[in-house]
Amino acid sequence: MEKTTTAGAPAGTGDVIDAIVGLQASDPLHATRHARKKVVDATQASYDLFFRPGDVRPGDVRPGHVRPGRVRPGDAGLPLAERLLVALHASLLSGSDALARHYRAALAEAGADPQALAAVEAGCEADLPATRLREMLLFTRKLILRPVEGDEAALRRLKDAGMATPDIVTLAQLVAFLSYQIRLAAGLAAMKAWGSQ
Amino acid sequence: MSGIIDINGYTNQTLDWKAWLDVVDPACATPEQTAVLEMSHPKAKVSDYYLFLVHQPEILRQRSEAFNAIMYAPGGLPRAERELSSTVVSRINGCVYCASVHAQRFEQLAKRNDTVAQVFSDPRSAGVNQREQAIARFSIKLTEAPNDIGPDDMRALHDAGLSRDEILDLLHAASIFAWANRLMLNLGEPVFPEQPGL
Repeated sequence: MEKTTTAGAPAGTGDVIDAIVGLQASDPLHATRHARKKVVDATQASYDLFFRPGDVRPGDVRPGHVRPGRVRPGDAGLPLAERLLVALHASLLSGSDALARHYRAALAEAGADPQALAAVEAGCEADLPATRLREMLLFTRKLILRPVEGDEAALRRLKDAGMATPDIVTLAQLVAFLSYQIRLAAGLAAMKAWGSQ
Repeated sequence: MSGIIDINGYTNQTLDWKAWLDVVDPACATPEQTAVLEMSHPKAKVSDYYLFLVHQPEILRQRSEAFNAIMYAPGGLPRAERELSSTVVSRINGCVYCASVHAQRFEQLAKRNDTVAQVFSDPRSAGVNQREQAIARFSIKLTEAPNDIGPDDMRALHDAGLSRDEILDLLHAASIFAWANRLMLNLGEPVFPEQPGL
C-alpha cells in the first residue's frame, strides 16, 4: 500500500493530530501522548465522524485525504464540503496555519464552491449571498472568536436559514471540536519544540 | 475556607441550564440515544444539555469519551489541578455555568476554595502557589492565543514542577474546555436559583 503523504505525516499511524504536529513514533512525546489512549482514540473518532466517509479503514488515512461525493448516513444536511469550509474558516480565524493547510488540502479534494472558498480565505463570508452556508460561516466566526456573545437569536437565524435542530447540533459540535483540535495541536507542537531543544 | 462565593457574576452555587431549541424527550429516545446518555453523565436523562446534544448521538458519544478520559483518568496531573484549569478557562471564556460546576469539583477534590475566589476575582493572578499560578497562566494563554504557545511556556510549567505527562494532561483539560464552553454558551443559558426575598 502506498504510504507517501502530502504533509509529512508519519506513515501508517493514521492519526490526524500526529500527522499535523509531525509526531513520529520514535519521538518520546508520541509515547507520552499515546499513553492517554482513550483521549487519542476519541479525538480521532470525533474527527472521523465530522470529516471521514464511513468506509475508510484504520491505518488508511492521511492528512487531506477525504473522498469526494460520499457522506455518512444522516449527514445529508451538512455536506462534507461545507463542513470543510467551516473548518478552514475556524482555522484561519484562530490563526492556525497548520490546521488551515490541512483543511485547505482536504477542500481541494472534496471540491468546494469557488466563491465560498474565496470568501473564507479572505474572511469576507458576510459578503456571500444570503444562503444557509453564509449563516453557518457567520455562526462559526462568533463561536470561534466571541463565544460569550452566543444568543438565542443566532440559533434562530440558523433555523430560519433552513437548518433542522440535529444539523445545528452537528454544526455547533463541529466548531467546538475545532476549537479543541486547534489548541491540542498548538500545545503538542510546543511540547515537541521544547523536547527537541 | 468554604461557603458560597459570588464574584464578578461568577458563583460556586449549583445552577441549572436550559436549551434554546428543542431537546430530545428521553421517553422517545432511541436505544442508541439512551445508551449514549447513560455513558455521558449520571444525570444526562434530566439534563437539557445532554438531551439537546443527543440529537447527534455518535458525536456526543465521542465527546463524552474524550471528556471523561481527560477529566477523570487516574494518574498524571492531580484531578484538582485539571478542575482548576477548567475553571480558569471557563472564567476567561465567560461561561458562568461551566465555572460553577468546575469550581465545585475543585473544592471537592482540593478541600478548599481559596483559589476559586482568586479565579473569579482576577484569573490572571490566581493561584496560591507557583504551581497553581503556572497552571492558570498556561490555561489563559492557550484559551486566548493558542498559536502563541511555545517552548518557553512549556519550560515555565516544567520549572513550576509539572512533568511532561502532567503537562499533556493540562493541555487536554484546557483544550477540552474550549469545546465545552462553546456549547454551553451558544446552545442555551444558565438558570439561577431563586433568591430569597426577590
